Amino acid sequence: MRNTSTLSVRTGIIRNCLMQVTAVCGLHAIAAAAIPVPEGQPRKHVETSMNKLQEVTLTGKVTTEGSSEGLPGVTVVISDVSGNNKQGATTNESGSFSFANLQTGQRYNLEFSYIGFEKQSLKDFLLTESNASSIVVKLKEAASNLSEVVVVGYGSATKKDITGSVKSLKSAEFNQGIINSPEQLLQGKVSGVNITSATGEPGGKTNITVRGPGGVRTGSTPLFVVDGMALDNSGTGGDTNPLNFLNPQDIESIDVLKDASATAIYGARGANGVILITTKKGKSGTAQVTYSGSLGISNVARPLDVLSGPEFLAEATKLGATITDGKANTDWQKEIFRTATTHNHNVSVGGGSDKMTYYASFGAQKQQGILKNSQQNRYTGRMNLSQKLFDDRVTLDFNLNATNTKNQRPNIQGAIGSALTINPTYAPYDANGQIAQYQDFTNPLFTLQQYKEELTTNRVLASISPSVKIIDGLIYKLNFGIDNSTATQDKQLLPSTIPAEIGRLENYGLRNTNRLIENYLTYNLNTKMHSLTALLGHSYQRIFIQSRNFSINKFPISDIEPIYNPGLGQDLSLALNQPGGFATINELQSFFGRASYGFKDRYLLTATLRIDGSSKFGSNNKYGSFPSFSAGWRISEEPFMKSSPFSELKLRAGWGSTGNQEIPSKITQARFTSVVSGTASYPLDGGTTYPAGTTYTRLANPNIQWEVSKQTDLGLDFGLFKGALSGEIDYFRKVSEKMLLEVIPADPVQPAGTFWTNVPDMQIINQGLELDLNYRNTLENGLRYSLGGNITFIKNRVEHSPYTVIPSGSAQGSGLTSATINGYINGEAIGSFYLKEFIGFDEKGISKFRDVDGNGIVNDADRVVAGTALPTRMYNFNGNVSFKGFDLSANFNGVAGNKVYDNTANSNFYKLKLSKGVNVTPEALESPEESVNNSAGVSTRYLKSGAYLRLNNLVLGYNLNTAKLGISRWVQTARISVTGQNLALWTKYNGYDPEVNNDRSIAGITSYGIDYLSYPKAKTVIFSINLGF
Amino acid sequence: MKKKLSTIFAVTGLLMFSNACTDLKEKVLDETLTAKLSEEETVNGLLAPTYALLPNLFQHTTYFALQEISTDEAILPYRGGTDWGDNGIYIALHGHNTTSTDPNVNNTWNQLVQSISRCITAIEGLKSATSPNTALYTAEARGMRAYYNMVMLDLFGIAFVKDDPGTTSKIIRGDEAVKYIESEFLAVEPVLQPKSVVGPGRLNQAAVWSLLARLNLNAAVYRNIYGATFDFKAEDMDKVIQYTDKVINSGQAKLSADYFAIFGNSNHTNEEIIFAVDQRAELNGHNRMAYFSISGDQFPLAEFPAANGTDGPGITSDFYQTWVQAYGAVDPSRDPRFYQQNMSIYSNAADTCVADADYKINRGILRGQQYGALRVNGAFLRCPDGKLKVGKLSYVTRNRADLPVSFSEMIDFTTAGSNYNTGYRVEKYEFSNKSNTGRNRGEADIVIARLADIYLMRAEAKLRKSNDAAGALADVNLVRASRTKTLAPPALTTMNLDLLFRERGFEFYWEMLRRPDMIRFGKYEGKWTEKTNTDVKKRIFPIPQTAIDGASNLPGYLKQNDGY
Repeated sequence: MRNTSTLSVRTGIIRNCLMQVTAVCGLHAIAAAAIPVPEGQPRKHVETSMNKLQEVTLTGKVTTEGSSEGLPGVTVVISDVSGNNKQGATTNESGSFSFANLQTGQRYNLEFSYIGFEKQSLKDFLLTESNASSIVVKLKEAASNLSEVVVVGYGSATKKDITGSVKSLKSAEFNQGIINSPEQLLQGKVSGVNITSATGEPGGKTNITVRGPGGVRTGSTPLFVVDGMALDNSGTGGDTNPLNFLNPQDIESIDVLKDASATAIYGARGANGVILITTKKGKSGTAQVTYSGSLGISNVARPLDVLSGPEFLAEATKLGATITDGKANTDWQKEIFRTATTHNHNVSVGGGSDKMTYYASFGAQKQQGILKNSQQNRYTGRMNLSQKLFDDRVTLDFNLNATNTKNQRPNIQGAIGSALTINPTYAPYDANGQIAQYQDFTNPLFTLQQYKEELTTNRVLASISPSVKIIDGLIYKLNFGIDNSTATQDKQLLPSTIPAEIGRLENYGLRNTNRLIENYLTYNLNTKMHSLTALLGHSYQRIFIQSRNFSINKFPISDIEPIYNPGLGQDLSLALNQPGGFATINELQSFFGRASYGFKDRYLLTATLRIDGSSKFGSNNKYGSFPSFSAGWRISEEPFMKSSPFSELKLRAGWGSTGNQEIPSKITQARFTSVVSGTASYPLDGGTTYPAGTTYTRLANPNIQWEVSKQTDLGLDFGLFKGALSGEIDYFRKVSEKMLLEVIPADPVQPAGTFWTNVPDMQIINQGLELDLNYRNTLENGLRYSLGGNITFIKNRVEHSPYTVIPSGSAQGSGLTSATINGYINGEAIGSFYLKEFIGFDEKGISKFRDVDGNGIVNDADRVVAGTALPTRMYNFNGNVSFKGFDLSANFNGVAGNKVYDNTANSNFYKLKLSKGVNVTPEALESPEESVNNSAGVSTRYLKSGAYLRLNNLVLGYNLNTAKLGISRWVQTARISVTGQNLALWTKYNGYDPEVNNDRSIAGITSYGIDYLSYPKAKTVIFSINLGF
Repeated sequence: MKKKLSTIFAVTGLLMFSNACTDLKEKVLDETLTAKLSEEETVNGLLAPTYALLPNLFQHTTYFALQEISTDEAILPYRGGTDWGDNGIYIALHGHNTTSTDPNVNNTWNQLVQSISRCITAIEGLKSATSPNTALYTAEARGMRAYYNMVMLDLFGIAFVKDDPGTTSKIIRGDEAVKYIESEFLAVEPVLQPKSVVGPGRLNQAAVWSLLARLNLNAAVYRNIYGATFDFKAEDMDKVIQYTDKVINSGQAKLSADYFAIFGNSNHTNEEIIFAVDQRAELNGHNRMAYFSISGDQFPLAEFPAANGTDGPGITSDFYQTWVQAYGAVDPSRDPRFYQQNMSIYSNAADTCVADADYKINRGILRGQQYGALRVNGAFLRCPDGKLKVGKLSYVTRNRADLPVSFSEMIDFTTAGSNYNTGYRVEKYEFSNKSNTGRNRGEADIVIARLADIYLMRAEAKLRKSNDAAGALADVNLVRASRTKTLAPPALTTMNLDLLFRERGFEFYWEMLRRPDMIRFGKYEGKWTEKTNTDVKKRIFPIPQTAIDGASNLPGYLKQNDGY
């Protein structure tokens, strides 16, 4: 007989899991379990009490179901029936545990938990002398994720009842290592989701798209919702990831809503997918205190293979170059990079009583970047509280998250660019140990010393959400949240005599306040035949963003940093120091509803409608409706399937429409500004004061509306062999229409050169296939293993664009100005490379390009589509083995079908550069026929395969037997682990890393796949310890 | 109890709900439609923007590039294979192979269409103004609209007629465009003020006469842009003579005795200038005219060791040879327009120490070894007495200290001809004293029209109308003889169209007049360094592809120029 109450378990030490609890215990437990009783309530035990009291040692054994082998590392917690006097133990190698000095005749509660297994509890166990060694518990592997709870937006559902394409990822499945922001936790873990962490910089930005980019502009980022609070996707200041305010260790689960039937509940913001982040909550019962600490050691993973001093001399001499021999042999990359350490400490407390649960945590992470002077320190504090009132009719939930982040960065491109190209025979330091100065190069160490950006962000996210049970099944909920972040950034260039620099300080301030009020009603009805869940609500959100910047020039050379005393600046002029800033308010108002109906637990229907209004849209287009419909058929529940090997087989189909309103504010209104600036004002007399010029800043489009994305999804969920093998297959087709674009008006004579409009007919189509597979097994000897993976095939193309080509991706580097790399062209993928085709060298060793139009001249008209930056295949596979106290897991991810434009090589690594005394990679010398005078224009010559496979993380852990160590009284669980992050990378790409995306957008049109002096990724080894008290 | 609770929560919820209700009317915080400006601020605020984009239009990479690099006066190779490659656009421009995606063509176009629009906005806004300046400002805005349309016609072969901001412009070409622009200039002519009242930076009486003369002189070209020959009508030439006479007789401008003072940092008060872009270092000035051509290892300012040149374009050897042929055995520096030496070290190698205040680089066409302040590790070397140490420059910043900054006559697109030091350079405008980086904070006004051009246009009209060589020669020699600060160029003895064309090159080199001059004199399809294209369709530039794409919803509205 099963006790089937569902609860979440926080083990603290072992990673967290949400599992169904089943109690199938030894002899005693079976008897005890005969009368199912709701958990947490004391009850009478069926057995008669014993007569004599004495101290005994309770011992027992935990095995897995279907095996007599003991299961080591299981957390066993014993307490008295009221939950007090808690003690913990861990099973040893043979699966045994023991608690000394217990009183016979007392009643105890025991809980058994282990990752990947259903939690079991033994309630009200009356200890007697005779049963003190009788407990044998068989833990059952957690069944397939059918009953797993999935967060779906304004509610949750069990996986089996879901009709849309939703992927839920629990904390146990997250990527391990040094994690800056939540997206990194799921890189490679969810099919259809492409996450590119384009930089190795601490706190750097991550690009994420769900089922392919659906827009031309920037703004294809999914909507993030943290505990019901929809975040604003605009930045929080600086060039850092706005999501790095969350402590990854506070995250319980991440749910990715992929198809429109799932995202339509978020209406005008659902077009790019929705990512729901749920933080950890306390569980009633005894307090769980955990500490985790780690030390990470990082080094640059793949330094570029530039020539060493002797090679440089030899090769340059071969080219007949006159170069300076500095007599040293310096690896300049070594000089600017370092072995970086990352410290992470995290303490959490969770627990509560019947009526009140709490979770609190404090985390500190100090992460050094592998480039000197780059660093991010983050402190996070979280408090989640839930209180039940009035006979549990009212529940009050509080969430509070406060984060302080300090990010420091040097001149990254300057330092890396100089380190790659500076003469390797030059010494970094002079005879006095000072940073050496060179005529022809800037010593990158000097660059690092003279410039820094310091960004301090304080972000507080707080919400309160009371809910009231009005009648049985009908719940009213209010959700009020505020997300406020303030950031200040200083950019400081120190003054110096050599080279002459007067010094400059720039200060930027950004404030982002996001307020949300939601009211909604949920109704639940469950009968034997029918189940119904209905939702009706209203939401109002207001986002205020303000930015201001000031600067001052000319500082005296002293040991005072301008940051700390800007008043030392001596030059303040309109030409150099014009302040800037902006402020916008964006309001959203929505009405939404959803109904899910299930018949006989087999036939499932869901319909959603959201009506969204935004202050960004014109008065005649204030509101848009976003409906969706989906259906599911659980074939496995049909009588004819009873004898099939399928434990689960569900067919899903859905269609829905969602929107994207991520456009700048104010574009429905023409406005003017009256300013004195070089492009608005003009001297009207001989004086030195100038009239403010009144100019229109933009053209109005009062008809502007959201982009519409219509998506069809067809999916199949299956489980075989009692859930040992499970998986999902999804086909999707997402068509984005009414593309929002800043375009040039037909009549070019306009106050502003461009205006925003919904381009009629233009479409961006993403279609593809996603496949997820997981298999797990336990051997007779107790060895357990699991294998999983996913693969996504995706194709993206632009259709019916009225534009010949929408260029993006401006090339960078000397001689490359004005060349573009990407082009949006009909019939081709977004981010296609549109380049001249390099076809070798002519007899003089000069580059030849294909003359496509055959007119004898090679120019822009001869560009060809040479591949796409978007991968057509993304895949991931992972494996996990555990035996006795040990566990080992590996996680690989990769992409294929894409290319990367190596702008770093294009602007630095060619023969001509070496002949001018600039260092290069051997790649620059690989064509003997190339002339030393050949210039390197932008062409397919520097377009390289971007396919890769990465060993993203590898974790080896061991769960210590705290009982055996004799520390179980104080420390119940202890785990040590070593994690390797980015240990291996297989790729043909010879830049720092093929996972790259320098923002080289033009006029807000996103660029893709361009590598220009990117901050390289680190290879990291992390030593961690996790303790549970 | 439970009922009460529900009621309380329902009411609370409703309160929150009502709190949240909104009409979604967008609040704009940082811009306005109702600025409370005084009448004077309002009208100034409307007029200033009609001129404000001129510095951007007269950039090295925009109007300058289109008017000069497309001709025999300027060539910009892919310097050393590392600089000014720019996706081949300067090589294409020089060889008349420019495409509709050329960013400089696009940037020039954008400044023009936006300026035209700003004029329309100003005319419209001024209709309701009560300021005493209203009539004058309206005339200036309308005149500037005609000027921008004239540049548009010259570069792209079209002009835009638009009065009501709410309507779509009418696109006109050829004779219709010439007539429209002329009628607009004539309409505002009576209202405009003399230069002495509004200064050379604004459209004044003499300026509009100059532009009318220029329009009529080129009218034959504009009417038949691809013609094998042009029909310079007598009535057009009469108008040229009429308007140039008006300028000359008005006394609003005087020829400058010092040729290079016309292009100096304080040229705002130079009397020769009729109409110019009024640049102020603190507002809108750029130094690109002075920066573009000289070497990256030339540092012209003692105060700013970061201010240098860029090794941009040089003059072609063909253009240089026109000077050589004109002066025969005498070095062209005989002509005060060719060269002005400001550093004695060129003639006296011992003068290696210069006081900061006296440090100025040479002007005009720079040849051979260059001298200047010696910069080591970002700072200038000093003589023991604290003066600036000057000496022979080499390509230190390019890691080629062995390569002297010595400008050669030879410049072309071959490897040897593309080195950093190839081509004689032009430092016609004075390097701005306030330009800390060498790029911005320019001081010198950029000349749009000056008196010498008036004389030379009159001379040309005399030649074209009645082959009045004597009259033309008198005008040319008058200009030559006026440069009295140094030895004036010798008087010419004969005059014809070819000689006049050559003279225009000597007088106006790098003043953004060369392309229309070459077209008008039938030279644009000729051959010179790295230029062999003889396609007449290349006389005007392609309309930017983005503009063509933008107009794709109005079929037939904006047609790409032939040949592109």
